[in-house]
Amino acid sequence: MIAAGLMIVALFAQQFEQRGFIENSTAVYPQTAANDSGRVVDELLFREEASYKFAPWLTVNGSFDARTDSHRQTARDWAVDADDRSIQRPAFSVRRLSARIHRGKMTAEVGRQLIRWGKTDILNPTDRFAPRDYLSSVVDTDFLGVSAARVTYESGGDTVDLLWQPWFTPSRTPLLNQRWTALPPEAAGVSIVDGGARYPGGSQYGARWNHIGSGYEYSLCFFDGFQNLPSFDAAFTPVTASVALTRTYPDLRLYGGDAAIPLAWLTIKGEAAYFTSSTPGAEEYALYVIQLERQVKEWSFVGGYAGSVVTREAASPLQFAPDRGFAKSFVGRAGLTIDANRSLAIETAVRAGGSFMRFEYSQLFGQHWRATGGIAWIRGDMTDFLGQYSRNSYGSLAIRYSF
Amino acid sequence: MSRTLLWAMFAILPALAQDTRDPRQIILEVQKRQHADSQRYEGTLEVTSQGNQVATKRWIYQRIGSFGNSKAILRFTAPAEVKGVGLLIVNHPDRASDQWMWRPAIGRDQRIALQDRSTRFFGTDFSFEDLEERDVDQYNYKLLADEGGLWKLESRPRKSSQYEYSYFWIKKDNYTFVKIEAYNKKGLVRTIDYKNYEQIKGIWTARLTEVYDVTRKSRTVLKYEKLEYNLPMKDDDFTLQALRRDL
Repeated sequence: MIAAGLMIVALFAQQFEQRGFIENSTAVYPQTAANDSGRVVDELLFREEASYKFAPWLTVNGSFDARTDSHRQTARDWAVDADDRSIQRPAFSVRRLSARIHRGKMTAEVGRQLIRWGKTDILNPTDRFAPRDYLSSVVDTDFLGVSAARVTYESGGDTVDLLWQPWFTPSRTPLLNQRWTALPPEAAGVSIVDGGARYPGGSQYGARWNHIGSGYEYSLCFFDGFQNLPSFDAAFTPVTASVALTRTYPDLRLYGGDAAIPLAWLTIKGEAAYFTSSTPGAEEYALYVIQLERQVKEWSFVGGYAGSVVTREAASPLQFAPDRGFAKSFVGRAGLTIDANRSLAIETAVRAGGSFMRFEYSQLFGQHWRATGGIAWIRGDMTDFLGQYSRNSYGSLAIRYSF
Repeated sequence: MSRTLLWAMFAILPALAQDTRDPRQIILEVQKRQHADSQRYEGTLEVTSQGNQVATKRWIYQRIGSFGNSKAILRFTAPAEVKGVGLLIVNHPDRASDQWMWRPAIGRDQRIALQDRSTRFFGTDFSFEDLEERDVDQYNYKLLADEGGLWKLESRPRKSSQYEYSYFWIKKDNYTFVKIEAYNKKGLVRTIDYKNYEQIKGIWTARLTEVYDVTRKSRTVLKYEKLEYNLPMKDDDFTLQALRRDL
């Protein structure tokens, strides 16, 4: 009986996989911001990811987050969140819960999942099913899961990806009373409050065809849905001298593509998308990135240009648009693998009115512990997307225990 | 013994003897004897740096096809922070391999720029070039010495390589590599020792490979566990989709 029990445990173990980590990260800001006097922000995150293979063709995947922080960016309640629509991060959330069916050349995944499109590394114009969390920083973000059904068919060098997302997940924007919301000087003395959100009700659809040829790779994609970055409707209340900002999400249609061409001396990667909208007053624009990559010994270099072309101006300037904020900039990244345990990275974006540079050193201790220290330096004018965060340069230290 | 058989013996034996002295034929015979349609193993890698600091990594490696026309997936299982990170390698007979890396943390595969094959593999003492399958026709070979039970060969790459030349020591009785010394213009760069040979499904297989980086004075030991050949595998399990099919 004990042997039978051990056999069952062994069989279960063969089908079950998990990984996770607990991480404490601290950011120290030498300067205060107009709307935030805090200089130190501490965050604690526990993440557990697991999968169980019920049959060779059926796997269930799950990922769960539990977190807290010192700056009230994380809610203080016990509810488990599964749609990531709250303005604060939930203390407990289901990041992923999906069933994946794999038969021959076909893979289908249904449920909450992480979906990424695109080939470039610094900015991904075609990455439309990956809303982000900008709460802690607009220059260092995490991705959110979406509730969707995804079918992928792969044959030879061709892959077709079809997506249906029935439930909208927005990007999480910085809180109005915290430093990553940069308010204009004219707003001084006015109370600005969150007026909630008007979420779109319809579904989002996407299709992507990727082709891998002999010495090149490219894809074409289409997306029909909504902008996951908000525009704001402002309502002034004279009695309280306050402005309520309501988040809205315009319709969005995307036509895009990307390519990667490895050459003898470097690899060229490019990605471009044209965005249209049927929402009156919404902006129409194109975003593109061209980057060059090269590995030299233990160094890797990525450098390129992110550009944008606006074909229809937005009726209102009240938008949160970090994707366009990083456009019209020269971007670069250099990484050094010092040895099996240590690495260095430098990342930069330089625009006409602002610039950002981050330096990061990371070291693994033993099999489980990693420490990552960094400095982010932001400079520029208040009129520039990056420059408006010039008081948000920071130093950071993250200690992670992986298991 | 019939006259025909005697003739055959006299005709064939010198040809065989000559065969084994042709360095290209020796390498071809090595490849022929190591040929397997598929391979799977669990690797444990220990990197000992100059300061005696040890880093350990583990992975599961699966390969379909052989020598210059193969596909492989390598999936890290330890340390915990890289668990699930995968590497898809598509080898081509006529050009450098295509490689994609899957990082679960960002949920995306990325094509790896591999213009410099002298880059060390994940901070170990193996360079990417060391891990490539050697196509016989990409090298010129010279038999340097007959050292008792070993042949010593010189190999010079016809195409660009970090190495100017390498010396191979190959056992005569079972056509297995014993040692490689790799040199650049300045001198010895790396030594690779193949140890603990066992016969698995009729194929002589080193269960341990040890690389010493002369410049960095760093050593990497790769142990092969649960090594199997000619397992039934499908092409569909060596694609970008397969690479993404991680937890």
